[in-house]
Amino acid sequence: MLKPEIKGDTIIVPSDPSLIGEIDEFVESRLRSRNVDDSIIADIAICATEIANNGIIHGNKEDPDKTVTLTMSFTNGEVMIVISDQGSYFNPETIENPLDEKNLLREVGRGIFIVRSLMDRLEITPANGGGTTVTLVKKIT
Amino acid sequence: MKLNSREQDGVVVLEPKGKIMGGPDATALKESIRDYVNANKKKVVIDLAEVDWMNSTGLGIMISCLKTVKEAGGDLKLANVTDKIKSLLTITKLVTVFDSYDSAEEAVNAAK
Repeated sequence: MLKPEIKGDTIIVPSDPSLIGEIDEFVESRLRSRNVDDSIIADIAICATEIANNGIIHGNKEDPDKTVTLTMSFTNGEVMIVISDQGSYFNPETIENPLDEKNLLREVGRGIFIVRSLMDRLEITPANGGGTTVTLVKKIT
Repeated sequence: MKLNSREQDGVVVLEPKGKIMGGPDATALKESIRDYVNANKKKVVIDLAEVDWMNSTGLGIMISCLKTVKEAGGDLKLANVTDKIKSLLTITKLVTVFDSYDSAEEAVNAAK
């Protein structure tokens, strides 16, 4: 079975959707060790699993030879989480508005919208090697 | 996520527990609903009391369950929606799509 690799505040996950729980545990444990409020931990975990799911499923197309890398850093009362995949660049401009009446019953397409709502900052840029890098920033104190 | 289910007054009550974030969660709830609908049990309550949070994958699963039940001519209600999930339903406007009740009892009464 594929397993994630953890090095300090970085987790490297093979592109298997069943590993999403390990990403959640990794993110939550590092926030909990800094006594972050439970509600803020939930917001950050929602967003980190959101972006990691996107990387595993849509970016890497569940190719087990490709990985998603998530790194957390803590400065000035903020957490920064950088998540990169090895797929092709995902342009956020292509997402339809999930609040449009015609999109309300779609099962997908609201992840980035939710992340924008819950995080203080969201950046989506091309990753080195062709994938997508997503940076999340949230105040935690 | 763990999933318990029970029946009350002819209504199926599904009780997921934990976080709904993708992976195996995606199939467990959908398959359970599909099995009940195929068995002609089309009145369903999802009791979210023990669900800490869900991400957009979780919301997508809820929508899929709703569509499965409605397309079969049944009805689906939510109960005990926690504050975190309530706020997600609000910002995504899904609050207009789902009928939510403060207790499983009320949701069952509305569904039966």
